Amino acid sequence: MTFVLKPLFFLGQKIVGAISGVGEIFCILFYTLRALPYAHKNVNLIVKQMVAIGVSSVPLLFVTSIFTGMVATVQADFQFRGLVSDKFVGTAACKMILIELGPLLTALVLAGRVGSALAAEIASMREKEELDAYAVLDLDPYRYLALPRFIAFFTMVPCLTIISNGLALLGGWIVSVLALDITTYTFYTGMQYLFQPMDLFAGVIKSFVFGVTIFLLGYYHGLNASAGARGVGLATKDVVVSSCLMILILDFVVAAILFQ
Amino acid sequence: MPNVKINPDDVMIKLRGLKKNFGSQSVLSDVNLDIRRGETMVIIGQSGVGKSVILKHMIGLLQPDEGEVTVDGITISTAKYFDTRTIRKKMGMLFQMGALFDSMDTGENIAFALREHHPELSEAEIQQQVTDKLKIINLVPEFRTKMPSELSGGMRKRVALARAIALSPEILLYDEPTTGLDPITSDVINDLILEMQSKLGVTSVVVTHDMVSAFKVADRIAMLYKGRIIEVGSVEEIKKTTNPFVKQFITGQRKIDSEN
Ligand SMILES: Nc1ncnc2c1ncn2[C@@H]1O[C@H](COP(=O)(O)OP(=O)(O)OP(=O)(O)O)[C@@H](O)[C@H]1O
Ligand SMILES: [Mg+2]
Repeated sequence: MTFVLKPLFFLGQKIVGAISGVGEIFCILFYTLRALPYAHKNVNLIVKQMVAIGVSSVPLLFVTSIFTGMVATVQADFQFRGLVSDKFVGTAACKMILIELGPLLTALVLAGRVGSALAAEIASMREKEELDAYAVLDLDPYRYLALPRFIAFFTMVPCLTIISNGLALLGGWIVSVLALDITTYTFYTGMQYLFQPMDLFAGVIKSFVFGVTIFLLGYYHGLNASAGARGVGLATKDVVVSSCLMILILDFVVAAILFQ
Repeated sequence: MPNVKINPDDVMIKLRGLKKNFGSQSVLSDVNLDIRRGETMVIIGQSGVGKSVILKHMIGLLQPDEGEVTVDGITISTAKYFDTRTIRKKMGMLFQMGALFDSMDTGENIAFALREHHPELSEAEIQQQVTDKLKIINLVPEFRTKMPSELSGGMRKRVALARAIALSPEILLYDEPTTGLDPITSDVINDLILEMQSKLGVTSVVVTHDMVSAFKVADRIAMLYKGRIIEVGSVEEIKKTTNPFVKQFITGQRKIDSEN
């Protein structure tokens, strides 16, 4: 009997845990948005987070984007060679980068770089009773901690995505001219051919969703970290794993909605 | 002993039948304690008995499993968010580990809540307050630009104290205010606690192991032992106690008298 009940019990526990986790994440979103009217009063906090999340991520994104753009272009050329005109290499690279690679890559890199940092920061604040100190001083942690980070993620992830798009296309162009014998003119007209503004917008819309996802999961795992340095380590791991999964799932969902 | 008129019937903080478990560990089993308006109550007890846990119940950071916490006539153990906030506006707390905001310098730690709660104050007035508070805790004004990580443990605690008194609360909870301080600085803090009481009529709850400090600042002393308050009395009464556990604690013996 027990060996039947035990797995059931375990399963039930997991399901309840997952549901309450989702509930808590929506609570975080609600409390954060509720603090939105006060955002203009602490602009300095927001700017600080924007620099921490946005500006300081550019160097890493610079390298990853250029190389991804180069790889995508080389692959497009390799697969198309002899089948279609060289022009379509630019078309394929551009569509691929704007719709999928740019937003997805940026979000995954940021989940690893700033999502984990967010969780570690919140977890250690909780551990050192800083969150309690906010409460005791009658300062709403959602207003002073969550909101600036939320705004920074919401705005910076799309900005970084656009930068990443540009850099990836730059990488594609460089490799076309230097290694693939495609002229600048061919690559450029290829990019314009079949281009629709929706390609760019779809990627940017996705990146807003990704930004909010990374923020919410980072904050949630930070608040729920178990005690000690080990807890902080586990929380950062959980953020990276869960945000990467959610990003990939949401990428599909948003694309399905936008391109139906 | 301080010289302030205290009405024994005017209770500021009332704990009734407080019970708290963490998982399977029972920390508080039945705590009953009255803290009178304007008095300084010192809570003593061995490390790990739950002194910090009691303080956190008084300010609504923890909710009891059973029992009631009433502060200034408002029951906070079942209170809604808003009631807890009304009460917190009147209360200040010094955390055992300081709980300074790591990302802000010393001056900003003290000024932050002041600036948020008193928008009518000019920046010059706020900086003046910071200087005054630093002076009270025996630190020179130059310390305002130091980050918490650059301060010694004792300094951090004093800055946390300055932050707690900056909002001029009516009730102050001190979690081991003199632990880790040299005897001279300890005495500065003792005098500060006495002064808060005599000049501002502050009601204080002090958790401490430091019997010198306890005897100096206390109106009454309560001893927590195995989840209960086993004795409450004035300094004289506690010094003359017949309770073997209290006697053992205040004289610092490893074994209780009857066993010798
Ligand atoms: N948030 C918590 N979660 C789980 N257990 C806790 C929590 N807070 C306190 N405890 C447990 O409650 C007990 C009492 O802790 P508390 O911090 O109140 O002790 P204390 O009397 O303040 O000791 P000390 O003098 O060393 O500060 C400890 O055994 C601790 O492990
Ligand atoms: Mg303690």
